[in-house]
Amino acid sequence: MAKKSGSSFGNFNKAEIFDPRPVKPITTEFSKGSVPDSIYAVNRESAWSRWRRGYEIATACFYDNSYDYPFTYRVPVPAGTPQTSGNPPTIPGVFKGFPTKNKEFGMHWAGVRVAGSLRFDNVRDSTGVRASIASVTEDANYWYVKLTGTWSVSNPLPPPLYVAIPGVPGGLKAINGEILEDRIVSVGGVPIDRDTIDPATQKRYGYVSAVLADTDPFNGILKLRKAGSVEATPDRALVTPATRPPNVGRFLMTGTRYCCSCQDFNRRDYGFMSSLNKVSDSLKTKFPRTNVASLKPGRYEIMTLGGVVDNNAMTSANVNRDMRIVSPAPQYNVPPTVTPTVSTVPGAARDRPGVFRDFGAMYLRNTSDPSIPGSRAEGMPSYEDYSASGNVITSLTDTWTPLLDEMRYCKHIYAMKYEEGVFPPEPSDFPVGIESMAAWEQKLVEETEKDQTEARAANLQRRSLSTMDVPPYNCQAPMMMPMMQKLFNIPSTFVKMNGFTMIDKNGTKYIPASGERPSV
Amino acid sequence: MAQFGDVVSTNFIYSQEQIDTRIYGDSDISYSGIPTVYHAGDVVHLPYASGETSTMEAIGLAWAAFTSGVGPE
Repeated sequence: MAKKSGSSFGNFNKAEIFDPRPVKPITTEFSKGSVPDSIYAVNRESAWSRWRRGYEIATACFYDNSYDYPFTYRVPVPAGTPQTSGNPPTIPGVFKGFPTKNKEFGMHWAGVRVAGSLRFDNVRDSTGVRASIASVTEDANYWYVKLTGTWSVSNPLPPPLYVAIPGVPGGLKAINGEILEDRIVSVGGVPIDRDTIDPATQKRYGYVSAVLADTDPFNGILKLRKAGSVEATPDRALVTPATRPPNVGRFLMTGTRYCCSCQDFNRRDYGFMSSLNKVSDSLKTKFPRTNVASLKPGRYEIMTLGGVVDNNAMTSANVNRDMRIVSPAPQYNVPPTVTPTVSTVPGAARDRPGVFRDFGAMYLRNTSDPSIPGSRAEGMPSYEDYSASGNVITSLTDTWTPLLDEMRYCKHIYAMKYEEGVFPPEPSDFPVGIESMAAWEQKLVEETEKDQTEARAANLQRRSLSTMDVPPYNCQAPMMMPMMQKLFNIPSTFVKMNGFTMIDKNGTKYIPASGERPSV
Repeated sequence: MAQFGDVVSTNFIYSQEQIDTRIYGDSDISYSGIPTVYHAGDVVHLPYASGETSTMEAIGLAWAAFTSGVGPE
């Protein structure tokens, strides 16, 4: 007799027993398949993890994946400003591409503004005195560098150190957050490096790198952060934190400035509507979408061309788009941290579903440096996008503060620092709870090499380079424009396509806006 | 290909073997010189003479213009 399904009371199905196995863990923003508990989050966000991955990505792609795009950017002058003759104001730098399967066009683009782009031997007071380092005082956490010259309320430090804005207390201090280095010994002199020997003493000069934390424009004082500072010693070693202040009598200049367009550095995920998403499983969705749980209040940018939204990844070299910033409320739209170009739309805004998600978050460390008296112990990393009190947003945080080796760099920037020979020492926030670091590292080595090979193969063989976005044509893409503004540290309206002079593999210059192309 | 200062310290120079591997596929690509001009670790020497607009000044002009609503020319 055939077995009858169900019970003897009929063919009702039996109640299903709950099986927890098919339940998938919660997916996090930048990885998949892990339950985001606090330990996991700390491990994932640790500087150590980025540092280690950066080394790996540098050594894995250094040989094969040299997507370097050197450039010189000519800074446009404001309308109505007379042009001067002679050498134009330029920003030299390089874009470096890191092949990836995590972006539609297969590349994370990182940018570098070369050290020495801004020099203080061109900064003068109202009487023409050049702003060398006159004296330095210090407290536990900062050096206070007094610049030579006569500074007062009526004669403050000149732009970009300080720009007075009517109605905005404190004005605009555009280069706060830049890395400054005392590497110019004489007016117009060649910047020294850690090998340069002082002919008078036959010893190496040495220099100090530190982040400009704040500016006192009326007294001519720059406040440099001790934590994270780096000193090139007479022994040619790089020591952090620096053991002495910047040298009196020298001129400051800017250090190397990095930015990256990857999701990790930006804390932003950008979806581009493309039908080319057939390379990776994670990119099978043709339409960008945002999980509801990921939506947060924050600001976002819209790229427009002639008032019409234009999200193209690349443009013609003769087209300049505008960047409009939508922020929670206009009163928080304070330069230089937020730079509107056309207009700002007031009112509470959220991420832009389907296009951007998780905007404006910023890694903040709770510490200065344990070796410096008065600093606190290192705490949990945290992200801060805005602060609120009683459901009212009280401040928007969109600062970008390089802390030299303490900065929350992404792995691509660590990779570039490795290549340039200034790979920072091992960060102290070593991941916890990992069963075997040897096994983890071995897996990392294998996966990085495999990923790089795969990404390169996807770019070069399966899809061809023609689907890639390349600088400078992508410099006004929604994902790139905020990065360009941060990299150059100028208002985004001043990032114009016709300012780019690119340098091809032969070292020959070409200007894309003039229709020129790299040589083959 | 540096500008007028002509001092660029480049931290690495590609070996011939590395340059060779930059030829992708089987197409015949001819090239010469050092592939990268500026590199992440470079330092440039940009000494602006009196009367010229330095990069520092230009960025200052840009921010000052921005705060008063003036765009680039």
